[in-house]
Amino acid sequence: MKFSKKIGYFIALVIFLILTLGPFLWTFVLSITPEYAMMEKTTRLLPEVITYDNYRELLTSGTQKGSILITGIRNALKAVGATLLLGIPIAMMSAYALSRMEFKGRRLIKNLLLITMVIPVMATIIPLFRLFVARQWLDDVFWLSTVYVSSYLPMTTWLMSNYFATIPKELEEAAQIDGCGRLSSFLRIILPTSYPIILSAALIMFLNTWSQFQIPLILASSLETKPVAIVVSEFMTKDSVQYGLTAAAGMIAVLPPAITALIFRKFLISGMMGGAVKG
Amino acid sequence: MRKKILPYLLLSPMILIMGVLVFYPIIATFSYSLKKWKLTAPNDIHMVGLRNYAAILKSDSFWYSFQNTLFILAVVVLLTTVLGFLTSIFLNIDVKWSGILLAVAMLPWALPPYVNGILWKFVFSSGYGFMNKAVIGLGLAGKPIEWLSSRWSLLLIVSLVVTWRSIPFTALVCLAGRQSIPGGLYEAARIDGGNRRTIFRTITLPLMLPFLAIGITSTSVTAINVFDEIIALSGYSDLGKNILVESYMTTFSFLDFGKGSAVTYLVMLFAGILGIFYLRSLNKEVEY
Amino acid sequence: MKKRLISTLLILSMTAAMAAGCSGKESSSDSNTGGTGGASSDTTASDDGADGEGGSITFMAPDWAIPTDDQLKAFTDETGIEVTVNEVGWDDIRDKMVTAAAGGQAVADVVEVDWSWVGEFYAADWLEPLDVSDEVKADMPTLETFTKDGNVLAIPYANDYRLSYYNTKQYEDAEIKEEPQTWDEVYANCKTLKEKGVCDYPFALPLNAEEKTSTYLMWLAYTMNGIVFNDDGTLNKDSVLAALKYEEQLIKDELVDPADKTSSGMDAYKRILSGSANFLTGPTSFVSKSTNEEDCSVIGQITPILVPGKDAKATVTMALPEALGVTKFSENKDAAKKFIEWYTSAEMQEALNETNTAIPTLNSVLKKLIDDGKIQNAGAMMEQAELIASPFPGGVPSYYAEMSNAMYNAINKMALGEMTADEAYAEMEAKVAELAAE
Repeated sequence: MKFSKKIGYFIALVIFLILTLGPFLWTFVLSITPEYAMMEKTTRLLPEVITYDNYRELLTSGTQKGSILITGIRNALKAVGATLLLGIPIAMMSAYALSRMEFKGRRLIKNLLLITMVIPVMATIIPLFRLFVARQWLDDVFWLSTVYVSSYLPMTTWLMSNYFATIPKELEEAAQIDGCGRLSSFLRIILPTSYPIILSAALIMFLNTWSQFQIPLILASSLETKPVAIVVSEFMTKDSVQYGLTAAAGMIAVLPPAITALIFRKFLISGMMGGAVKG
Repeated sequence: MRKKILPYLLLSPMILIMGVLVFYPIIATFSYSLKKWKLTAPNDIHMVGLRNYAAILKSDSFWYSFQNTLFILAVVVLLTTVLGFLTSIFLNIDVKWSGILLAVAMLPWALPPYVNGILWKFVFSSGYGFMNKAVIGLGLAGKPIEWLSSRWSLLLIVSLVVTWRSIPFTALVCLAGRQSIPGGLYEAARIDGGNRRTIFRTITLPLMLPFLAIGITSTSVTAINVFDEIIALSGYSDLGKNILVESYMTTFSFLDFGKGSAVTYLVMLFAGILGIFYLRSLNKEVEY
Repeated sequence: MKKRLISTLLILSMTAAMAAGCSGKESSSDSNTGGTGGASSDTTASDDGADGEGGSITFMAPDWAIPTDDQLKAFTDETGIEVTVNEVGWDDIRDKMVTAAAGGQAVADVVEVDWSWVGEFYAADWLEPLDVSDEVKADMPTLETFTKDGNVLAIPYANDYRLSYYNTKQYEDAEIKEEPQTWDEVYANCKTLKEKGVCDYPFALPLNAEEKTSTYLMWLAYTMNGIVFNDDGTLNKDSVLAALKYEEQLIKDELVDPADKTSSGMDAYKRILSGSANFLTGPTSFVSKSTNEEDCSVIGQITPILVPGKDAKATVTMALPEALGVTKFSENKDAAKKFIEWYTSAEMQEALNETNTAIPTLNSVLKKLIDDGKIQNAGAMMEQAELIASPFPGGVPSYYAEMSNAMYNAINKMALGEMTADEAYAEMEAKVAELAAE
């Protein structure tokens, strides 16, 4: 019995790894292929000549492309930080109100919030741009992040509020009888058991912010604020497309989110342990 | 008195942000869509009511794009939901390397959109991309196959690529959903003697349904709004364009802001209808 | 303990967010110059962004157009005008201009203007007319592209005209003695190359649904027949249909790589650099690319020649230059104009060729660089430069983007076998006529 389970798991693991990592392997191959060999007509998987020039150029400090890439990554991290700082508390507050409080218009607000999920960037970007110009909010990580927050809020609030809803009312009531106000019952009861969902929401915000392209393009594309997604796209210009370099940059650009997800899983598990008390 | 205000107080930041950054712009864009506004004719801007919408709904180009959008939507939502759900189950298994697995699973999401486009271009290139190398190398074909040259083949590939990068999100949402199920329920069920399949059917699936639903909604929105992949794989060609490409071209390429805003609005309406449809099924609260 | 930690964290994060917001706002209002929409420094010619006596301007362009810091400093020393550089990818510049203009804003004082944008920018009234002396007009044939109704809307700085290239070694291998003079000869030679197995897909032709495909058809028609558009803006049937049929024939005879149907135009061009294509009519940048080790694996085999024509070599060629213009919304127009004058002067063009590999637009400078040997393997480059003319009788039309879109889609469909050349031509003709009539 146990053995077949293990085989099943192993097969699933292999399939998973091939489908997920396979394309990255290919990206890596691209990043070590010299430009003139990109279009070669062979069935060989690896190029004849392997070059690490692309990585060298991107990782040595002082080269133009290298420093721009680092700047892009730094800017993306800044945006993530601001988004998390702003977004998580607001989502938590909103989720708490929508899931554990009774008041008029609750359903309406909930639905209105959810419906905004369907709005594409293009529907709002031009008025937003005019607004930003009028108030000089362009090229500013903070205001850029508020736009991001506005697009993640529905989803993360919903996730959190669904989670909060599963926490039995009795726990909160018991705490309140013991003399806690709303705030401390929130901090003492709700928060500790909600680590998994909060971390999940944080990871969602992180990854979504990391891949933002069209919004920062219009609202914050100066060198000081442009995120790595835009930087990488600029390696491909009208006349000189450097596939290898772009591929290499892409490989480097996935590192921060990947590392974060790695760390995240540890906290998710420990959060689960803490949450087991809930039952 | 304070108690009554508290919820509104808590909600005020959200309402402020959404109001200023979302609702106001949508209304503004709607007002643009009611005008005849071509940037190349700056002295000729005036209200035309719903004429832009009428023109778009009558154009073949729009309906062609709409068909493409529907195709991509169907394929992406189906595959992403099923595979995402399965992946979440896989990732939930507690093994030593589950952290690394999660990181790996998130990678497709972390790849910058441009690089994603190039990568798949090189996989499905009509020249000697990876697929052709494999297919010819294994002797399955004599000449390179033109993967991207026919409409349905192109759309299918776009859908697969979008699915690939959307699975992480669905998997994560389902994983989060899975965590929200109180452990106690499982214990109770086990004590009551339920086997794995019943537990899955009566506990896991129903409680994860809301999360699945939100995943589906989000994936649908993503699928309708596919843009980068289509451009990367087939340029601005008529072949694979969906309504978002149509919207972008009209607004930014042809500089017709009036019509472009109208197309954007139609995109939104379509996604909105789907959204409301999902919401209805979502609002059934789950019983304990 | 934990509770206190968390509540402190919450308060701290809200405060931090507020603080970030305030400080962010300050820094962005500091770096705001004139009436421009939030451009910020990349390279400033001096610190602090304090206003010099000459004023200051913002300059938005792709990376290949950005002068070095030294060059910018020299400019500031000479004129007292500060330059703030905003480097943006080429494709994105247009999007930003469009968005900014929709908001009534200038995206920068001096901005890159691609030849294909001139028509629409003029119609949308985004560019300030510039004064250019007659001598410059004579020495800079590409200026014509940027002139509409007698107004010079931008001054070109990078010259990119069509030149032909072919692989001489492959010709030798196939025992073809002479370089092709006409398009028919090119066709016949390509067939020979293929039959003898020297080159499978000798003709590099972009067919993907993108700009390069429509411009390719345009200059093919132009060099073949000397005309593309009639005076009223409609397509000239004799010329364009003939060119289209020529392309159709190439595709049918499999002289074009099937990958060219969906790969980017640039990739199609680059095939010549790996020997996979023999004949290319493409950008002047391939002159230097063909001698560069990183780009080319068949160095020494490629020669630039004059573009073939119908019965003899072509008498005209098309240029696709890039220029700099002053935005109408700019609040520093005089300073901006000075910058452009400086940038496109003879000395700067020479300097920029060295630092940015830009091909100069002043023919006198081009001649000098070739004579001095700074541009190698020039072949027929100079002669070709003297044949530059514009195929657009009234200047680049304002509906260029829509027209190009219809053209490349029709050509692409023809390449994919969904339409014949006649059908594709009919589709293009109808759309162009519709646009020209508006």
